Amino acid sequence: MAYLLQQLLSRSARAHPDKIAVVARQQSLTYRELEDKSSQLAHLLQQWGLKKGERVGLFFPKCVDSLVSMLGVLKAGGVYVPIDPLMPAERAGYIISNCGVRVLITSREKRMVLSAETLGQMDVCLLVDGTEADAAAGIVAWAALNEQPTAAPKVTLTETDLAYILYTSGSTGRPKGVMLSHQNALTFVEWCAEEFQVRSEDRLSNHAPLHFDLSVFDVYNTLEAGATLYMVTEDIALFPTTQAKFIEDNQITIWYSVPSALTLMVLHARLTVEKLRSLRILLFAGEVFPMKYLRQLAALAPDVELYNLYGPTETNVCTYYKVERERLESLDNLPIGAACANTECFVVNEDGKLLGEGQQGELYVRGPSVTYGYWADPEKTRKMCVPNVFQEHFKEKAYRTGDLVTLAPDGYYYFAGRRDNQIKSRGYRIELGEIETALLSHEGVQEAAVVAIPDEVIGNRLKAFVSLHQPGSLKMVDLQQYCSTLVPKYMIPESIEFYEVLPKTSTGKLDRVKLAQGAKAVTQSAS
Amino acid sequence: MTEPVSATTSSKDKIREFVLEDFAKPKGVNQITDEEPLMSSGIIDSLGIFRLVAFLEETFKVRIGDEEITHDNLQTVDAIEKLVQAKKK
Repeated sequence: MAYLLQQLLSRSARAHPDKIAVVARQQSLTYRELEDKSSQLAHLLQQWGLKKGERVGLFFPKCVDSLVSMLGVLKAGGVYVPIDPLMPAERAGYIISNCGVRVLITSREKRMVLSAETLGQMDVCLLVDGTEADAAAGIVAWAALNEQPTAAPKVTLTETDLAYILYTSGSTGRPKGVMLSHQNALTFVEWCAEEFQVRSEDRLSNHAPLHFDLSVFDVYNTLEAGATLYMVTEDIALFPTTQAKFIEDNQITIWYSVPSALTLMVLHARLTVEKLRSLRILLFAGEVFPMKYLRQLAALAPDVELYNLYGPTETNVCTYYKVERERLESLDNLPIGAACANTECFVVNEDGKLLGEGQQGELYVRGPSVTYGYWADPEKTRKMCVPNVFQEHFKEKAYRTGDLVTLAPDGYYYFAGRRDNQIKSRGYRIELGEIETALLSHEGVQEAAVVAIPDEVIGNRLKAFVSLHQPGSLKMVDLQQYCSTLVPKYMIPESIEFYEVLPKTSTGKLDRVKLAQGAKAVTQSAS
Repeated sequence: MTEPVSATTSSKDKIREFVLEDFAKPKGVNQITDEEPLMSSGIIDSLGIFRLVAFLEETFKVRIGDEEITHDNLQTVDAIEKLVQAKKK
């Protein structure tokens, strides 16, 4: 049994050294190359004094060297932190400082985006596309790897050590870093290997960005099986026809993405059964798949196994539902399914009592896939990773998902909503509070509320309601631009409506219900 | 929103103006060159592409097929203009 993620690679590199492990942007690496290069990177990191458990930031558009970076950091005993390359400099800088990154793997272009303050924190910037070193500026070119030995350095690690940190939207205005151990990831990877029977002949897609936990399946189940990973880069992902051609040209056998990527293909890629012939498994997660489009997809992929996977980043995936084709017509909502192996789910009401079938409550998760909590945030960790009071004889933690679910008579959980202001858009997890905090930090803004407007393709669109200290002093685009310096582009409200004062409830709170009701569809959906 | 079409504005000006006002500025990008990558920079997202295509079809009275909605055809203002010119012929 592998107990460290990098062992999945080493094992496959011994079994299939000349097989292609990863393909992206007209480049590829064999298993031997990936194994050797990641070991070389590990040596380089150790030469720079990287200690066990130390964080290394990854801040560049995904490419084959993303895998070298992830595995190299792990082999050095480090913890990698993938940072959205499209993130504003301020937010990337916050993440880098929050988890104390002093070695950053980046690209020439992305390094330029960062502030002098952020760069000042760095001992070394290793440039994946850099050809010239600049010792004075702490810049090292990727070619420096070539001078290192290809045998992995010795480090003592256990499965309980951290492997990576994934930052997600935080309700108080700052992203929070979910800490994931080797064991957390492997619990999921091993379940997937068994359930989906991933084989070395498989060709997997990697649609999700690497800071998004859907990519954990793509990367590590590919390595586990000795299969081949085909990365879907932005020149493919945004274009449904190109994406469908990508599946056909690369004869992809296992595809995993957010439902909206599949819906856009159903709507715009002129799919045929023939074009999807190579697929044997289609996985989706991150948001609710509208039944209408799932039915169309199922008809276009008659022999493909379809799975709805569910789970917050804190648990990776905790429940799954294998679509029962005979129920597709009669189901109004897709179940999130039943617990994965080595995972237990239960439903609890507001008083902390266990609920049974048919009763709606909050979903709790326990087991080795569950996070230790949030980096450098013990308070938030205490709130979400709570003692499991149903465990009498020893101390154990359970994760509160914040998702309201019901266990139905068919034995499956059904998602019913959130108990807070977290929403999903294109599978991205968004805390409305983080956007409100961003708006309120503008000196001209007096009050701000953000509401989600349901959209059948991307899940939700964002609309803000704002009152200003001086009415008329700011336009919509001014505030959108201001937000763009603080939050990722997918979190910028699509429209902003100005009020003299925002409506309040009788208790003086912002009346979000009234605002949401008043908010008509922002724009027409893509369909 | 789109300005009334004036006879003196070139197709490229109209495209640049639309991309700047409807996509770039709301995402915090105040100026764009004609070679600016619009997709890899996150200025235009997956739904934005279809808004852009609707704008092109309406403004230039052309029909753009699903199979023509590709990165090569839409990645920059230059590329979009080339597509529109080719369609107009």
